[in-house]
Amino acid sequence: MAAIDIPGGAGGHVADGHGDPDENYLTTQRGIRSWLFTLDHKRIGLMYLTMVSLAFLIGGTFALLVRIELFTRGRTIVDGETYNRFFTLHGAAMVFLFIIPSVPAALGNFFLPIMLGAKDVAFPRINLLSFYIYLVGVAILLTSIVMGAVDTGWTFYTPYSVQTGTSVISMTFGVFVLGFSSILTGLNFLVTVHTMRAPGVTWTRLPLFVWGMYATALIQVLATPVLAITLLLLIAERFFGIGVFDPKLGGDPVLFQHFFWFYSHPAVYIMIVPGMAINSELIATFSRRNIFGYFAVAMSSLGLALLGFLVWGHHLFVAGMSEFATVLFSALTFLVAIPSGVKVFNWTATIYKGSVVWASPMLYAMAFIFLFTIGGLTGLFLGTLSVDVHLTDTYFVVAHFHYVMMGGTVIAFLGGLLYWWPKMTGKMHDEGKAKVGFWLVFVGFNTVFMPQFIMGSRGMPRRYYDYLPQYEIFHKISTVGSWILAVGLFLTAYTLLEALWKGKKAPRNPWGSAGYEWMTDTPPCLTNFHETPVITRGPYDYHLATPEELATGWDEIDAPKAKAKKD
Amino acid sequence: MNEPATFQLPEQMSTIAADVDWLYYFIYWLSVVLFVAIVSAMVYWAWKYRERPGHKAEPTGHNMALELGWTVAPIFVLVFLFHKGAQGYMDLAVAPADAMVIHVNAKQWAWEFVYPNGGSSDELHVPVHKPVKLVMGSADVIHDLFAPSLRVKRDIVPGVYSSLWFEATHIGHDDIMCAEYCGGRSKDPSGNELPYAPSDDPLHPYPPGQAAGHWSMHATLYVESQQDFDKFQKSIGDPCDSFVSSGKPCPTQVAAEQGAKLYVSKGCVACHTLTGAKLVGPSWKGIYGKEESTDHGLMRVDDAYIKESILQPLAKIVTGYQGVMPTFAGQVSDAEIEELTAYIKSLKE
Repeated sequence: MAAIDIPGGAGGHVADGHGDPDENYLTTQRGIRSWLFTLDHKRIGLMYLTMVSLAFLIGGTFALLVRIELFTRGRTIVDGETYNRFFTLHGAAMVFLFIIPSVPAALGNFFLPIMLGAKDVAFPRINLLSFYIYLVGVAILLTSIVMGAVDTGWTFYTPYSVQTGTSVISMTFGVFVLGFSSILTGLNFLVTVHTMRAPGVTWTRLPLFVWGMYATALIQVLATPVLAITLLLLIAERFFGIGVFDPKLGGDPVLFQHFFWFYSHPAVYIMIVPGMAINSELIATFSRRNIFGYFAVAMSSLGLALLGFLVWGHHLFVAGMSEFATVLFSALTFLVAIPSGVKVFNWTATIYKGSVVWASPMLYAMAFIFLFTIGGLTGLFLGTLSVDVHLTDTYFVVAHFHYVMMGGTVIAFLGGLLYWWPKMTGKMHDEGKAKVGFWLVFVGFNTVFMPQFIMGSRGMPRRYYDYLPQYEIFHKISTVGSWILAVGLFLTAYTLLEALWKGKKAPRNPWGSAGYEWMTDTPPCLTNFHETPVITRGPYDYHLATPEELATGWDEIDAPKAKAKKD
Repeated sequence: MNEPATFQLPEQMSTIAADVDWLYYFIYWLSVVLFVAIVSAMVYWAWKYRERPGHKAEPTGHNMALELGWTVAPIFVLVFLFHKGAQGYMDLAVAPADAMVIHVNAKQWAWEFVYPNGGSSDELHVPVHKPVKLVMGSADVIHDLFAPSLRVKRDIVPGVYSSLWFEATHIGHDDIMCAEYCGGRSKDPSGNELPYAPSDDPLHPYPPGQAAGHWSMHATLYVESQQDFDKFQKSIGDPCDSFVSSGKPCPTQVAAEQGAKLYVSKGCVACHTLTGAKLVGPSWKGIYGKEESTDHGLMRVDDAYIKESILQPLAKIVTGYQGVMPTFAGQVSDAEIEELTAYIKSLKE
C-alpha cells in the first residue's frame, strides 16, 4: 500500500527528470545573496533559527549574571542599578527576541509548508519581509539597551517606566516593530493552512504541529495590534501630555497593566501552544502510535488560543481591580486548566500500548510532560484568589512561569531541534552527547527553579537585588543549578553544531516516523517535494504506513534491534 | 524573622492565615497526587511498552467515555478551588467597621506609618487581637505592601488610595516588604558609587545612607499588647502638641528633637545625610543659613526656602543635584515643617 506517491521520495533516490536527485535546498543555489534574498521558507526558517539562538544566548547570559549576583547577600558582582538592568534585559530578550518568534518563525517556517505538502508558504515575499522587520526590531531593541537605562522589568509598568528615562520608549518601539513581524508570520501561516494543503491533507489529517501553529497564528494576528495601541498611547502621553497612564496627568497606571496584559497574556499562549504542538509530534513519532484523542488535542490548542484572550486580569489580582472583576477573572482562569489537562492526559495515553523509542527527542518530550505538569499545577495555586494574594509577585510566580515557558516551550524547542535537525541539515547528531546534554538540562533546570517555589511561598518577593538572610540557602542552590543548566545547554548546542561537520549523512526518515515531513528527501529539495504529493493516510497512521515508509535507515536506532536479534 | 510554620509557608500571624494555608496545602496535595499519577504512568508505560523485537504499537482506538471523563471531572475540582479562593478573597476585601485605621505612605524607598494620634514611624506597630485597616498611598510609583506572615499583599498605586486589613493573632514581629518593582539607586548625583552592605540585624536589614531600591524597602511589623501599643503611640506623638494646646510656643529644643524623629520617620534619611556626605540630596549638616547656588540663582537656606523645598522640591534645585525629590505636600503638617526646620537649624557645622 503506497500511501504517498512521491517519485524520488519514499521510493528511494530515483532520478526522475527533476534535476539532480542529490540537489537540495541548501545546494541548489550558493552564495550570500542566495540567502539574503531567498524566498525559500526553509532558508528563512534557518535564518530565523540563527537569530533566535543568538537572542537565547544573550538572554541566557543575563540570566546567569542575575543568578551569580544573587549567589550571596549584599553585592556579589554588580550594584543594584546594574542588576535591575540585567533582569530587565533577560526578560525582554527572552520574551520578545527569543521565545515569541522561536518555534513559529524558525521551526514553523521550515516545517509547516512541508507538513502540508506545499512548495512554500502562501506569501514568500511577506515571509522574507517579516524576517527583515524582525531584524530591524532586534536592532532597535538592542540599541536601546546600549544607549540607555532600561530598568523597568520587561513589563514596562507605568508610572515607573515614564519616570526612568526615554529609552523605554525606544525599547517599546522595538517591541512594536517586532509585533509586525509576528503578525505577518501569523497571517502567512493562516492563509497557507487554508489554501495550500496538498490533495488528501484534510483538516482531520492535519499534523498537530500545524494545528498548534494555526492556533498560534490566530493569537498573533488578533492580539499583537493591542500592544501597538498601547505604545501609541504611551507616545501620546509622553510627547503631547495627554493623560492616559500617568496619575499626574489624570491618567490611570492600572489601565496600562490592562492594556499590557491584554496583549501579553495571549502572548503567553503564543509561547506555549507551539511547544505543545512540537510535543504532540514527538510523542506520536516515538510511541509509533496515533495521538490518543487527536481531535481533542487539536481543539484544545484552539481552546487555549480563545481562553488566552479572556484571562489577562489574573495578572492584576492585587493591583486594585474591582472585587467583581477579580472574582470573574479567577473563574475564567481556572478554565485554562481544562484544555491543558486534556493535552497532558492524551499524551500520556498515547504512550500506553505504544512502542516507545527512548531517543533524545523523546526524553525531551517526556521532560515536557513532567515539567509542564508542574508548571500547570502550580497555576492552580495562583488562580485561587486568597492563595494568590500571598504568592503573587514572589519567586513562586517566577518558578511557575519558568516551568511553563522554559520547562515547556524551551524544552520542546530543544526536543524539536534534535528531532528535525537531520531533516533540516542532512546530518545526524551524536545521540550519546544529546542524552548527556538532556540530563544536565533536566537536572539543572529543576535545581534552579524548584527552590524558587519554596522561597517564594516563604515570602521572597521578585525582582530583588538583595534578600533577607532566611532566603540565602535557596538562592545558593538555585545559582548552582543555573551552572548545571548552562553546561547542559552548551553541550546540546555543541552536539547540534558538531553534527554539521562530523555528523553522518542522515537518511530520509531516521526516526521511523509516519509524519509527512519525513516522506521527502533529506534535506528536502527546493520545492519540498519533487511532485505535489497525494496523501492517503493521516500523519500518525502507523498501522496504515508501509514498512518502507517507516524504515529508519539509521544504524544507531537500528543497531540495538539488530543486536537484540543476534542475542 | 520568625521560624516558618511549615517547610513551605511562613509563620501564621493573622486570623486569615490558617484558612489560606489550608487551601494552599489542599492544592499542594492535590497537585502531588496528580503529578505522581501522570508522571509515573508516563514513565512506567514508556518502559513497559519500549520498542523491542516482536513488540508492535497497538493502533490507537477511541474511548469517548474516558475523554469526556477527564474533560469534565476537573471542572468539579476547579469550581471548588474557585469557590474557596473567592470566599477567602472576599473576607480580605471587606474590613470590619471597627477596624483601627493606620495610614501608609509609600515612597522610593521607604515606608511611613501614620497612627491615629497623628504620630508617625517607619515601623508598623499594631495591637494584637484588634482589626487594623491600612489605608495606603504612594508618592511616586507603584509599590506593594506585603507581609508574609499576615498573608496580605496589596498594590499601592499613585493617585488613588488602596487598603487592606488584618487582625494579628499573637505577639511577635515580622518583615514587611515591597512586592511591586519600584527601581533602585546605587550612585549619588555626581555618579559616585554609594556604599552598600546589608546588616545582619533582622529588624533593620538595610541601614540608611546606602544604595537603596525596591529590595531595601523593608519595614518591621511589631504585633504587641494593647498597653505596649499605647505606649508606642504616645512615644511618637508630637510633644509640641501639649504646648500648643495650652497656647504657648513650642520650645526650640523640643521642636528640634521632634524634627529629628521626623527626619527618620518621614524618610528624609534615605537621601539627606547629617555628616556632610552627599547622597541623592544635599547633606543637612550646616546647611541652615548657607548660600546655595541653585538653578534660580543664589538662595539663602532659611525657613521659607526649607518649607518650599519640602512642599515644592523642584522649584529651586541646588546645583549638582537632580530634581528627583517627591513633594511632601499633604504628608507633613505646618507644625511638622517647623519642627524639621528647628532640627535643621540645630545641625551646625
